[in-house]
Amino acid sequence: MVIDPARIDKRNRRRRGVFSVIGLTIAVMLGTLAVFTGSVAAQDTTAASAQAVAATPVLKIDTGDTAWVLTSTALVLAMTMPGLALFYGGLVRGKNVLGTIMQSLAILCMVSLLWILVGYSLAFGPDKGGIIGGLEWIGLSGVGSDPHPVYGPTIPHQVFMLFQLMFAAITPALITGAVAERMKFSALLLFAALWSLVIYTPVAHWIWGGGWLGKMGALDFAGGAVVHISSGVSALVCAIVLGKRKGHGADYMAPHNLPFTLLGTGLLWFGWFGFNAGSALGANGLAASTFLATHAAAATGALVWMGVEWVHRGKPTVLGLASGAVAGLATVTPASGYVGPFHAIIIGVFAGVLCYFAVVWKGRMGYDDSLDVVGIHGVGGVFGVLATGVFASKAINAAGADGLLFGNAGQLGIQAIMVAAVMLFSVIGTWMILKVVDAAVGLRVAPEDESTGLDLSQHNERAYS
Amino acid sequence: MNRYFRIMTSILPVFACAILAGTTGLYAQDAGAPAPAAPIVAAPEAAAVPAAPVASKIDTGDTTWVLVSTAMVLAMTAPGLALFYGGMVRSKNALGTIMQSFVILCLISIQWVLWGYSLAFGPDKGHLIGGLEWIGLNGVGLEPNADYAATIPHQAFMIFQMMFAVITPALITGAVAERMKFSAFLVFTLLWATFIYDPLAHWVWAVGGWVRNLGALDFAGGTVVHISSGAAALACAIVLKKRLGYGREHMVPHNLPMTVLGASMLWFGWFGFNSGSAVASGALAVSAFVVTHTAAAAAALAWMIVEWMYRGKPTVLGAASGAVAGLVAITPASGFVGPMASIVIGLVAGVLCYLAVLWKSKLGYDDALDVVGIHGVGGIWGALATGLFASKAINAAGADGLFYGNPAQLGIQAMAVLVSVVFAFVGTFVILKLVDGLMGLRVSEEDERKGLDLSQHDERAYS
Repeated sequence: MVIDPARIDKRNRRRRGVFSVIGLTIAVMLGTLAVFTGSVAAQDTTAASAQAVAATPVLKIDTGDTAWVLTSTALVLAMTMPGLALFYGGLVRGKNVLGTIMQSLAILCMVSLLWILVGYSLAFGPDKGGIIGGLEWIGLSGVGSDPHPVYGPTIPHQVFMLFQLMFAAITPALITGAVAERMKFSALLLFAALWSLVIYTPVAHWIWGGGWLGKMGALDFAGGAVVHISSGVSALVCAIVLGKRKGHGADYMAPHNLPFTLLGTGLLWFGWFGFNAGSALGANGLAASTFLATHAAAATGALVWMGVEWVHRGKPTVLGLASGAVAGLATVTPASGYVGPFHAIIIGVFAGVLCYFAVVWKGRMGYDDSLDVVGIHGVGGVFGVLATGVFASKAINAAGADGLLFGNAGQLGIQAIMVAAVMLFSVIGTWMILKVVDAAVGLRVAPEDESTGLDLSQHNERAYS
Repeated sequence: MNRYFRIMTSILPVFACAILAGTTGLYAQDAGAPAPAAPIVAAPEAAAVPAAPVASKIDTGDTTWVLVSTAMVLAMTAPGLALFYGGMVRSKNALGTIMQSFVILCLISIQWVLWGYSLAFGPDKGHLIGGLEWIGLNGVGLEPNADYAATIPHQAFMIFQMMFAVITPALITGAVAERMKFSAFLVFTLLWATFIYDPLAHWVWAVGGWVRNLGALDFAGGTVVHISSGAAALACAIVLKKRLGYGREHMVPHNLPMTVLGASMLWFGWFGFNSGSAVASGALAVSAFVVTHTAAAAAALAWMIVEWMYRGKPTVLGAASGAVAGLVAITPASGFVGPMASIVIGLVAGVLCYLAVLWKSKLGYDDALDVVGIHGVGGIWGALATGLFASKAINAAGADGLFYGNPAQLGIQAMAVLVSVVFAFVGTFVILKLVDGLMGLRVSEEDERKGLDLSQHDERAYS
């Protein structure tokens, strides 16, 4: 291989640039760390006394509930890494597989840290005007092992925090499917950090942290709006702003390793039980009913996608079955704790059909949502949140609300407001963040780096030798 | 189009009838289900109500363990078994093989909710089958069912059992690998689950089932899961005949690391399978967990050593197969035997299953991925071994085996084995002939050469 010295020079310059960006990012994170270690340290040293103080409203830790939420936390971790990483990794070309896996892994690590430092406080800290959580819990100050009366009265508060951390980590990781094979790694890190703080934490606060949507009575059991709509809509913005991959529509871009993708699908399904049933925050009847609704919708979504594809295209594909399962899972997420198995199956049927056509129509819309985040998570999430407004029943979950079918048409309206609010906020916010990141470091890799592939150009590694 | 209509016209009526019946039940269940035990939701302001104590005594620890076990058994089928089998076929059939496990997971889950659970565990009818009272989960709510598991929601028990119903037909796919038509496969699976698995599960596990009434012991599915799938696999291999070029062409596994990954996930999930069958988180679960592990380890070593002596080299596929053989053999015994007995069960399983796989080629049937040798032979050995090693000291609800002074137990176990083998083999044979007449079982020669991935699914595993 002949190497042009000028090219090496250029590459070295670019590397220096990237290093400075990474250095800057690390410096910012270290700075944040330095500011907040004080509060963490304070929290550590005063933990004992804080426990004594907080012990007034006697909330008893239940070992079974704690075991369930801890296990669910680990299950949701497995969804991001290795689940989603391999799901996406198998769908790209062989030259980009490491780069794609790396995105999920790096986001998991970075968002975990951000969540502990500030994210959790912004999302779930004491409410400020229904918009955002306060900074009182920054660095987990005051977030100890005593249960919180609202966030899981029978489990340590830190367990709830950690469970929520996994949700915060997977959400930006979902978006990476839309920017696959062409985004610069440094830009991706910066984007994910900003997105997590500016988009995810407020939305989580609005719906789950005592914010305005939650107060209005919006129902989102395990993250249809917080996780799937926000990531799906942001993915659309990313795909549009980044533009198509080089050779999109012209080159052969088939998945390089579908067994990987199926392995990822299996792990996502497995982990989703923690995601949804773990959101019951206890090992009780609600957890069992959520578990069942989750599974029924996934199985139905997969079969229906396969059937529709069989009719429409002539062959049932393996990727179709896997996509249908994920569509069913994404769609039932907001409804899982409020609907019974029959309605979960109906939700799965719609998920399979709607998401299949969303993915088919993508080709006509012209944006390059490489791994179909918009079609599966966006469309599935929107339908799921609305379906919650139709099928929710107090007979399944007394703490929820009745939906349209049970005589409460107002719930559907509230759900629609939530969909609109989260969509609007995610579109505008993501667009602004992308523009900032573009100005700071540039979003896309150089055309020749894109041809070389992310593995070599961004990480200097090969997946297979 | 023609083919598609044939497929649909054969699948849809079956499903449609049952869906009509099942949904009525499901709908009643959705509309009228009692309030759950602890109304805690993610929506925080609503969750401020503390968990309301309900009359039933759901134990959170037991519920946690069964829910976790359910997720673990899901992971055994997909991705565990899917990759275990997927790695062993040629690369042109990798996706087709993985697809079979995945689609069974979807299909049987729905079948189980609509009518399977009711047939298997519903109120007994003449000791032979469950009634249709629980169709569409009608009456299967969140209150515990004391007959099956007194401390967890009934739906948790139902979905745990669902994963067993899912993995059993998925095991059979190893015998039909690389040559079965996808549409025929779907119809076969649906019929097999309904007419073989559901009755057998009723006989052995349900209150009132006649094999259970005999006193046969099957802790986690030696007869119901392994013998039934092993015997069915034999029928499949015989009826479907050999793959094109079997014995002449090179048919080595295309990706053994994938198979080892699958075997590891099977081992991981098997803790849920066996230990979760205690349907509680207590001493029995721990004991089952321990013996599951020791048997798997012993069998892997035994297989490896026998192979080393016999063939000159210890193979990775051998170690993985041995582990699975040990897991299969300990399954029926896992809740009734102690660790020393489990090591013996594992060692014998490793040797027996190795020899069974070796002798397969002399018998001339093409059990492509050794379902008969591992699940059939391992399952039979395990069911009989339960009659040897079971002890009331381990599980007071069980029985003593031959070595604890109760030779009759071995006879009962042998009876259960015979019943499962005959029922599964004959039933499978009939279903296969039926499906063959309806739509043909095998892909065309040309499609078989091309591979299932392209011919059945229009995809390639690797690009």
